[in-house]
Amino acid sequence: MKPFFAFSSAPVRVLLGSAAALSLVACDPDSDPDPNQAITPTKTVFVVNEGNFMNSNAEISSFSKTTASVSPNLFSTVNNRPLGDVAQSMAVQDSTGYIVVNNSNKLEVVNLRTFRSLATINNLKLPRYFAAASATKGYVTETISYSGAPGQVSVIDLKTNTVTKSIAVGVEPEQLLVVGNRLYVVNGGANTVTVINTTTDVVEGTITVGDSPNSLVLDRNNKLWVLSGGNVVYNANYTAIDYTKTTKGSLSSIVPGQLTATTRELATNLAQPGRLTTNGAKDRLYYTFQGGVYSLGVNDANLPTTPIIKRSLYGLGIDPQDNTIYGGVSNGFNGAGKVIRYRNSGAPIDSFDVRVGPNSFLFY
Amino acid sequence: MNTFRERFPGLLPLCCSWVSGLWCVLAGPTAVAQRAPSTVLDSVQQLPNVRVPGVRLSRFAVGSRDLTLDSTALAPYRSGTLTDALSARTPLYLRNYGPGQLSTITMRGTSAQHTAVLWNGFNIMLPTLGQNDFALLPVSGNSRIDVQPGPAAGLYGSGAVGGTILLSSPVQWGAGLRGAVQVEGGSFGLRAGNLEGSFSNEKLALRTSIFYRQTQNNFFYHSPEIGGVVRRRQENASLWQASIAQDLILRVGQRGEVTAALWLTDADRHLQPAIGAANSNAQQRDQSRRLTAGYRLVGTQHEWAVRGAWFEDVLDYRDDANGLSASRVQTTQAQAEHTWNFTSSASVRVGAEAQHFAARVDGYGPTPLTEQRYAGYGLLRYDPWPRLQLSLNVRQAVLPGHRVPLTPTAGLQWQLLETERQTLQLKGNASRSYRAPTLNDRYWRPGGNPDLLPEVGLGYEAGLVHTLTNPPAHLNWQTELTAYQQLVDNWVQWTPLATGIWSPRNLRQVRARGVEASTQFTWKPGAYRLLARVAYNFTQSEKVSGTVYDTDPTNRQLPYVPLHTAAFSTDHHWRQWEASSTLTFTGFRYTNASGSDFLPSYFLLNTTLGRTLLLHPGWKLTALVQAYNLTNSNYQSYQNRAMPPRYAAASLRLAWR
Repeated sequence: MKPFFAFSSAPVRVLLGSAAALSLVACDPDSDPDPNQAITPTKTVFVVNEGNFMNSNAEISSFSKTTASVSPNLFSTVNNRPLGDVAQSMAVQDSTGYIVVNNSNKLEVVNLRTFRSLATINNLKLPRYFAAASATKGYVTETISYSGAPGQVSVIDLKTNTVTKSIAVGVEPEQLLVVGNRLYVVNGGANTVTVINTTTDVVEGTITVGDSPNSLVLDRNNKLWVLSGGNVVYNANYTAIDYTKTTKGSLSSIVPGQLTATTRELATNLAQPGRLTTNGAKDRLYYTFQGGVYSLGVNDANLPTTPIIKRSLYGLGIDPQDNTIYGGVSNGFNGAGKVIRYRNSGAPIDSFDVRVGPNSFLFY
Repeated sequence: MNTFRERFPGLLPLCCSWVSGLWCVLAGPTAVAQRAPSTVLDSVQQLPNVRVPGVRLSRFAVGSRDLTLDSTALAPYRSGTLTDALSARTPLYLRNYGPGQLSTITMRGTSAQHTAVLWNGFNIMLPTLGQNDFALLPVSGNSRIDVQPGPAAGLYGSGAVGGTILLSSPVQWGAGLRGAVQVEGGSFGLRAGNLEGSFSNEKLALRTSIFYRQTQNNFFYHSPEIGGVVRRRQENASLWQASIAQDLILRVGQRGEVTAALWLTDADRHLQPAIGAANSNAQQRDQSRRLTAGYRLVGTQHEWAVRGAWFEDVLDYRDDANGLSASRVQTTQAQAEHTWNFTSSASVRVGAEAQHFAARVDGYGPTPLTEQRYAGYGLLRYDPWPRLQLSLNVRQAVLPGHRVPLTPTAGLQWQLLETERQTLQLKGNASRSYRAPTLNDRYWRPGGNPDLLPEVGLGYEAGLVHTLTNPPAHLNWQTELTAYQQLVDNWVQWTPLATGIWSPRNLRQVRARGVEASTQFTWKPGAYRLLARVAYNFTQSEKVSGTVYDTDPTNRQLPYVPLHTAAFSTDHHWRQWEASSTLTFTGFRYTNASGSDFLPSYFLLNTTLGRTLLLHPGWKLTALVQAYNLTNSNYQSYQNRAMPPRYAAASLRLAWR
């Protein structure tokens, strides 16, 4: 009988080879530790990375304007936990940041100097945007559901980080803005802006604007600007957008205190404008439209016809200090997104990688 | 808890026939629910009179790797799903959204849509999604699983790009009446039961298998929150599922065979939310009704077969934010083929198949939608010398709108060495494969893209198989090593268009290559029996080029394709005792295309200990204790979906013969 093991060398080699491969090669990649950079007021830009729905991979990245270094995973690096599912937006009050985590139904409250968690405000109902009226009072819009039922604005005591009251508004409330003692809430599922008295927290009126308002800003003349995307209507088969029924996007202006708006329609209904923002002097408006970025002065008689940037941006922000334009590129939400910086003229400066779906910026 | 009748309305008469111990002739439409000739084998060896066996489909799969999980290997997973069996026994990676939740496969670096799953020769991929949820395929429905990695569209049709899973229930003729009942209970509210019965003489073979399982899935997991890591109970993950399978084979005369099979599966799952995501009370109901029937006439030189299949797949999803989204697809398939055995060393099979899909899907609009696909195929097997086997298979599919290139597979097996105790075989094949766009890809509104081209793969593989037998030492050792490469072109990906609408496009070319090594060792020195198997896969899969719309980086490992996977299993039998262990290793997986995040690698160790008591002659009682995740590994298969810690289950099985 031939010795059994004389034949086993080949299989044994395969076996040992595999085992060796496993032990030597199968190491996990190094998690790049984020540069332990200091967050400096006026020198730091926070990037809100939405993440993928139901993956809990939302993240905040930070960019230092002085060193150009990037901390892509700022929240999880500092706090040793994921931020949550779908970061919709972020707002600031003094040195406290409020991150609205839409599909986690929560607000994450962080100290902006360290990015350490201060509190989590849970049990919201599909929250979208946050705005503070004072150091003690904030508001958050909540969709509640996509069934066409009205959404709400919840009042938050910023000392205790608890919800004290909820106010019914229009369908799918989106961005909100405090002007004096009024809170303006755009209702994205309708064509209205709800006005709430911040002293009494009671709705004091509704302003009609264009269909599907999504964003609003205040200019240097204390005038409110509301950008509406237009109502997108699909054909009966739901195979394509029916452009005979789809309404044009529009830009409305409102004088605070009045319950009327002046509305100008955009040139075409082939695209939906969004991401209205202003420069530092608050005398220019910027928005995304038709695969680009458009800009106009607050006193311009006509809407712009040519873009300053010809690139489809998912997120848009203007640095109020130097008017540098920050554009978020989603890359199909399939991996890391990118931020491109542009001069105010629209000429690109540089870019850096962030996380999935950079949708907005906060200049701190 | 729902009653059984509520879950299977109208089907009770079918199963009560077995319960009462009578093999009633199945009345109504189910009577023609006939089992098609198996793709794998028809065990006719035990017939005393000479009957010509039909040519198995696997005879044309020359030069491919094949792993078979037979009824013995599947025994520990009787109350589990294909996910449980495949992920414990093979180095295949199944991306799992939680225990019992959505579970999709990746074979040889391809996506979930690139593994064809065939049941009795018919593709059972969900036509809407073009893939299978392996958690919806209970092991009990079939008695044999064959895993054939690599492209083989010539044999198995659309989707056989990364590999093919073949489900079948081979018959043992003349085995008489057998039956078994099993109950199982375990952690997190697991309750399961099986009822099996079979009968065969030399003319008729019947098999019934009924399965039910429910679990609360309220296991503990670690949730990192503001105050630190909190131990939470998983919520919204409970489920129940059931399966009824009925097979029938009737021999008609000396040459004919009528086959019929029915397989009903039903699952009602709460969908486990991601860690940190809100619970929207998402719930999904999946029901599949599958019927096949066929007739085969086998002569000494010629063989004719016709078979048909009718499937209905229901998928109803609902959650708090979006309400109900319903889908129902009926698939009707027909196949006809003729096999001509020129000599004992040469066979040719030519055939044609037609598929008709009728879909009522909320996402496709209010009107039902239909699509037809056709294919013709020719299969050749030729053994010029006893030591050399060759095959050449071609298939031409006809899809609506677009021409599919001819998809041939050429295979070779060459016995390089053959001695009394060992053999060494060289295997190889080259294959072009294709995948038809799914119904969702084409018709989803908005975004569906009717202009999508079919994906086309071109792959090669070569391997060596070494066997060593040592009868005096009761040893048997088989080792196999395979290397492969495949380029998949026109790879489809859904991305947002400029309008913001998500739409699928033919975006890129992907290159997958790797090495598969496995060795299996059996030792039966006496009362003790040992079966040990080690398998290791190295899989490198990267986008190599893309269109201008494709922003994903090239030369980066695709997300959720681990570079390294391994599985090590042992099965021990000693007198009335049995014990087994499975240890699997899953290497890190990137969770996105840019490779910026990954899930760490993990080991999973499961063990089983059982004892069988012989009660009366013919009656056996088996008690089995199973422990899962023995090392209490804290791991994730899909990003932020919790997986259970260490848990256990125990079962009692009473079998007659």
